[in-house]
Amino acid sequence: MAEHTVKAFDEDITRLRGLIAEMGGLAELAIQEGLDALVNGDEELGQQVVARDKKLDVLESEVDAMAVRMLALRAPMADDLREIIAALKIAGVIERIGDYSKNIAKRVNRIEGRSRFEPLTLLRTMGDLAAEMVHDVLTAYAARDPIMAREVIERDAKVDAFYDSIFRNLVSHMVENPSTISSAAQLLFVARNLERIGDHATNVAEMVHFAAVGSYPTDIER
Amino acid sequence: MVTELTPNTEPKMRARDVSVFYGDKKAVDSVSIDIHTDYVTAFIGPSGCGKSTFLRSFNRMNDTIGAARVEGCIELDGEDIYKSGMDVVQLRARVGMVFQKPNPFPKSIYENIAYGPRIHGFAQGKAELDEIVERSLRRAGLWEEVKDRLSDSGTALSGGQQQRLCIARAIAVEPEVILMDEPASALDPIATAKIEELIDELRGRYAIIIVTHSMQQAARVSQRTAFFHLGHLVEYGETSQIFTTPREQRTQDYITGRYG
Repeated sequence: MAEHTVKAFDEDITRLRGLIAEMGGLAELAIQEGLDALVNGDEELGQQVVARDKKLDVLESEVDAMAVRMLALRAPMADDLREIIAALKIAGVIERIGDYSKNIAKRVNRIEGRSRFEPLTLLRTMGDLAAEMVHDVLTAYAARDPIMAREVIERDAKVDAFYDSIFRNLVSHMVENPSTISSAAQLLFVARNLERIGDHATNVAEMVHFAAVGSYPTDIER
Repeated sequence: MVTELTPNTEPKMRARDVSVFYGDKKAVDSVSIDIHTDYVTAFIGPSGCGKSTFLRSFNRMNDTIGAARVEGCIELDGEDIYKSGMDVVQLRARVGMVFQKPNPFPKSIYENIAYGPRIHGFAQGKAELDEIVERSLRRAGLWEEVKDRLSDSGTALSGGQQQRLCIARAIAVEPEVILMDEPASALDPIATAKIEELIDELRGRYAIIIVTHSMQQAARVSQRTAFFHLGHLVEYGETSQIFTTPREQRTQDYITGRYG
C-alpha cells in the first residue's frame, strides 16, 4: 500500500495494527492455556490465565484511545477510515474472547472426576479449532486478506457442530449419573464459551473483510 | 441511501464531452456529468486538475479569458448554453457564482442586493425591491445581523458576512444554479460552518456545485462528489461512497493523502 504524504500517519497505523496483533496473540494463548488448565486440573496455570487477562483490557483501552485520537486529528477517509473503525471493533471483540478464556480458566477447580469425562477431550479439540480461527483471522488481518477472512468464517460451522455434540454427550452423562451434574454443567459452560469464541472470531473476520474491501462478506452472498 | 438520493427529476444541467483548452493546453478532457437540483455536487481534486476551469464553463465565465476555448456541450434545462445567440448576461443570472474571496460591491449592503434585481427588471418599485432584499438576506442567513444597518457599506462587514452577502446577492436574481468556487477557504471555522449550513438550507431550491480543497467540507456539504485528476473526471458518485469506499485507486490515494 502506498505511503501517506504525512509519514506520522503511517507510523500511527502501524502502531495501531501492532496493538491488535499483540491482543490477538494474548487471546490465542489464553484459549490454549485456559483449556490446558481445565483439562489437566492445573489451578496455577488457570490463575495465570485469569491474571493475564488484565493485560488485554489495558491494550483494548490503548487501541480505543489511539483510534479516537487518529479519528480526531487525522480525519481519515476511505480505507484509512475503515482500517481504524475495524481496529476499534476488533479490539473490543478480542477483549471478549479473552473474557471467555478467563471464564474457562476460572472453572478449573470446579470439575470432579476428570478421568471419567470423555467430553474433556472433545472440548480440547473444539478449543484447538476455536484458537486456530483466532490465529488465522489475525493472520488475515495482518495480510489484509479478505479471502482468508472468509475461510475463517466458513470454519465456524465446525465449532458449532462440536458444541451440539458435546451438549448431547454431557446431557446423557447427567441423565445416566446425576452425581456428575455439577461438573457436567460446568463443562457445558466451557463448551458454550468456546462456541462464542468461534462466533467472535467470525466477527473479527467480517471486520477484516470490511477494512480490506469496504463490504461485509454477507453482502456478497445475498 | 442511494435510492433516497436518486433524483426522479431531469438534471438541471448536463455536460457532455466537455473539453476546455487554454491555448494548446487541454485543462479539462472530455468530461460528462449531470447536475441536479436535489443535491449539492462537490468537485474535488488536486490543484490544476481542471475542476475550477470546468466549473466556470457552466456559466461561460471562461469566455472572459481570451485564450480559453470550450468544446462539447453544456445544457441548462436542455438548452445548449454555448449556442449562438445565447444571452450570456441572462445566463449568468440563471447560473450565479460565488467566489473564493468575498467581492461585495463598494456600495451599501442594500445596494449590493438590489443592484441585480433592478438591472434585470425584477422589481416594480421600492416596496418590491425592499422585499427582495429582505428575502435574499434572510435566505442567506444574514438578515438579523444587518437589518438595522442596510445603508452601511458591504465592505464594512466581516469576511464571513461578506461571503453571505455575496450569496444573498446571487440569490436575489432568482438563479436556478449556484456555482461556488472555494466559498469558505478564506473564512474562519465559525464563518465556514455558517456558509456550510447555508448551503444545506439552499439545497433543493437551487442546483449547487461547490469546488473545494477541503475533503471534510465536501463530505459535510455535498451529496454527490466528483473527483478530477489531470483534467479527467476520475470518479463521480454518492459522497458517502466516495469517502468510505472509492472505486478508483486514484480517488483513494487522493482522499487518504497518498497522492503524489
